Amino acid sequence: MTKKITTLNNVAIGVATAIAMSYGPTVSAGETQWSGYVENATYFRDKKGLSKFRNTAQAEFAKPIESDGWSNISINGVLRATYDGVYDLNDDEFGKNAGESYLGENWHGNNTASSSAVLNPGVAFPCENDPALCNNLDGYMDQDENDAKFSDFNDELDFIRELYITADKQLANGDIFNITFGKQQVVWGKTDLFRVLDVVNPVDYSRHNIYDELEDIRIPQWMLTAEWRMGANNVFDDQNLQFIWNIDKFRPHNLGTCGQSYKMVDAGCFFASSIQGGGPYVINDVEEYDWNLKNTQFGMKWEGVYGDATFSLNALHYRQQLPSIHALGAPGSNFGLFDIHFPRVTLLGGAIDYYSMATDATWRLEVAYTEGEEQPRDTNGYKETDMLRYVIGFDKNLIMPSLGTRSAFLISAQLFGEHILDHEVDMPNDEDNWIATGLFKGFYMNNRLSPQIIVAHDFAAKATAIAPSISFTPDNHWMFNLALNVKTGGDETFPWSVTGGEAGGGQTEPLARFLNGPIGVANQEDEIQFTVRYSF
Amino acid sequence: MLKKTLITLAVTAALSVNAQSAPISEDVIQEAFHPYAKSLPKVDAVKPGMTINAGNVDSVKAYLDPAMYLFIKNGDYEMKVGETTSFDLHKSYVDATRKYSGDVKLGDKPGEISGSIAGRPFPQEPSMDDPRAGEKLAWNYKYGYNWGDSSAIYPFYWKYRNMNNGKVERTVKMNFHFLNFTHRTQQEPFPEITPNPSNLFRGIYVQVLEPFDVKDTQLLIQRFDDDLKRDNAYLYLGFQRRVRRLSSGQTTDAFLGSDVMIEDFEGYNGRISDMNWAYKGTKYILSPMYNHNDMELDTETHKDGEGYQVIKFSGKGGCFPEITWQLRKTYVVESTPVDPNHPISKREHYMDAQTFIIPRNITYDRKGDMWKSWTIGQAHPDHHLPINKGTGVAIDDSFSMVDMQANHCTTGQFKGVVDPELTPPSKMTVQNLRASGR
Repeated sequence: MTKKITTLNNVAIGVATAIAMSYGPTVSAGETQWSGYVENATYFRDKKGLSKFRNTAQAEFAKPIESDGWSNISINGVLRATYDGVYDLNDDEFGKNAGESYLGENWHGNNTASSSAVLNPGVAFPCENDPALCNNLDGYMDQDENDAKFSDFNDELDFIRELYITADKQLANGDIFNITFGKQQVVWGKTDLFRVLDVVNPVDYSRHNIYDELEDIRIPQWMLTAEWRMGANNVFDDQNLQFIWNIDKFRPHNLGTCGQSYKMVDAGCFFASSIQGGGPYVINDVEEYDWNLKNTQFGMKWEGVYGDATFSLNALHYRQQLPSIHALGAPGSNFGLFDIHFPRVTLLGGAIDYYSMATDATWRLEVAYTEGEEQPRDTNGYKETDMLRYVIGFDKNLIMPSLGTRSAFLISAQLFGEHILDHEVDMPNDEDNWIATGLFKGFYMNNRLSPQIIVAHDFAAKATAIAPSISFTPDNHWMFNLALNVKTGGDETFPWSVTGGEAGGGQTEPLARFLNGPIGVANQEDEIQFTVRYSF
Repeated sequence: MLKKTLITLAVTAALSVNAQSAPISEDVIQEAFHPYAKSLPKVDAVKPGMTINAGNVDSVKAYLDPAMYLFIKNGDYEMKVGETTSFDLHKSYVDATRKYSGDVKLGDKPGEISGSIAGRPFPQEPSMDDPRAGEKLAWNYKYGYNWGDSSAIYPFYWKYRNMNNGKVERTVKMNFHFLNFTHRTQQEPFPEITPNPSNLFRGIYVQVLEPFDVKDTQLLIQRFDDDLKRDNAYLYLGFQRRVRRLSSGQTTDAFLGSDVMIEDFEGYNGRISDMNWAYKGTKYILSPMYNHNDMELDTETHKDGEGYQVIKFSGKGGCFPEITWQLRKTYVVESTPVDPNHPISKREHYMDAQTFIIPRNITYDRKGDMWKSWTIGQAHPDHHLPINKGTGVAIDDSFSMVDMQANHCTTGQFKGVVDPELTPPSKMTVQNLRASGR
């Protein structure tokens, strides 16, 4: 599989270069502009010690190219190298030798698990420690410790964060046709922190769960995008039609492998566990999706401005990026064994934002309806169900002199909702769930000192994350950020079956992790975080 | 029958006379656009070539605005005086004034106007007896020739400076673009660009180039012809890679942490209806207007193939432009916010009578204390880049916003280019923000 990906990367780089070279004899290159940064992020976790010692160097370039026929041609790239020293400096807690006394030790107690545990604790970095399990995983979560240390250097050439060529063609009627090809991020939607429409690229949650900027954790894909920018007509102030064709080999979200310091909903350790008493591995098989035309992903977006509203309508045919867990059996037969699939999904959605003069605030609404997603069922395999996700957002800038600054504070609130249309009682997710987020950000000293607090609350998990931080930018180059990240809740436990316990008695594994969500399952990951960056 | 026909003809003739613009006398036009044609202002105390400093400032106090007087008196700045020169606006704008201004009328409420197609809406001299004279002058500013039909500042350097020790804390490099959708006179199409379904009057587009942490930030402000409608403002943040709508609260916020609000851009960047306007009189004031090519320039900040260099800054903290100032006929106008929660109590605008740009502003905080001093130096287009020659645009060329309470300032160094190629209508779209980002 990895060989094919490497080949695809090589082909795509070649195509991009060929396009760059094919603009004819009238092409000339402008000066390449470089920028970037080096950064150290050092985090300490309560009771665990060092949880991140990430050192990153990132360089970005843009090389403009002059051409008679096309305009705004440029080759753009983002290169990144990361070394996370936590696996060398705190190898008792994280890395290939890390271990748990029971599955889920990192987020709940052992009050019921020891007497009637069904599953063994997960194996750290299974492809380093357990070749047979690694074989079952079929390339999914197959990182070894070195991959975690140097997360950008892998078979997918992730150190090339982005590399694409883009060009505009001015049409006779004044419209603009744009084509962009290469490894890139395509950003849809209007939501912060959570993704409703912004689903074109998968995400690397192993970097820092849901808390890093999406720009840094989206996994860029080799894509061809075409846009027809129509500008204004007699009805709309602005219009654009975008087509995207993701020709990359399918990659799911990176949820973090067992042994890493950030494992979204602890899925990595669940997938690396096995039935107690010498039983089989929990994961029986992971479906692979070879690269072929049929497996590519595509979508389109129509967006525009109408009066005071900006809007988009989106459609995407892609693969579910979170694993769909298919239970293979029921109590008595193959109980506790799963296959992992990533089914085809069709998304239809839209977004609108509107500036309200009455509230002097911006309101955002984003909706996505998906067909083809699958939800696990703990007693009956899985079920395909349509899903509805939506976000209502509110943004306001407010000057509050009583807080000692003449700069406006940014106040932002969001309510993210998810509705499972064909819900079953044995699904480890509620039929409806909501996560609310709030951001309060201030600016002092000509915006060089900026405190902020982010709060997120998951209603089903009764879990809350509170992340206050303060950043200081003394000049054009240096930036220091000090932050806390504290979580509460995630205490929901239930027997193996969410319907009351088909097996295992008081056993509290494994599906509670999904109900407790990314905040609740990180409830023991309270951290103090310090980041220093030098940019150029 | 004949009598009836004659009456009909007479009524028709009267109606057709009413349908034409009321005539504007040539004297009004000449006084409005060529105030220095017959004579230059002559004041014994103010001579071209002199330097005004703490020692002699009291003798020229009458020709300085209060903030500039204080700076010089305190020894923060020494002002060099140059010759008064005529900044003739483009003939097309003057002709549009002749053609259309006769029909322009204020509506019942501030912010309402009718008949203004292009050119200066109210070329007549303001009168202290006219209670709406201030508002008319504000309209003359809004529909002024300003940057012409379109222009760009390409690039634009903002430096955030500690006034006490002169340390430059931040340097932000940007491109600014301006485009009039309506009230166009010189660049085709005129008087308006179509289609324009929301009746936009003007767009301002800002693209941040450096430093890294704000690189790719973009701002788009769309102002409507209907002054009662609030601007639409959009912000693209590079690290978010998406366009956010701004609430108007952000237009009175420190733009990118500078000492300048979005509302401060160009002297005043808001709706007429957001302020109450009062005309306070006409004076001869020393204004920052000069020939760029005759100034001592900054050899470090900007270098390009054309050999263009930007204006140098000096004085206390490096907060003041190294330029010459000239005596100019100036309208003093006061604006007070309609919104009682607005962060300022008032601005004093010193509007240049010939060009209707605002080279000097003083902003007062909510307590009524002097808060910020705004200077925007204007370069004569015939003594700037060759491409600007003959455009009739007074080129914004250097600015300084001094926060007098915080002892902090933001300075701006321009390369202003009047070139429609740099600012097509597509630049003023939300899509352009997204497409120009990453």
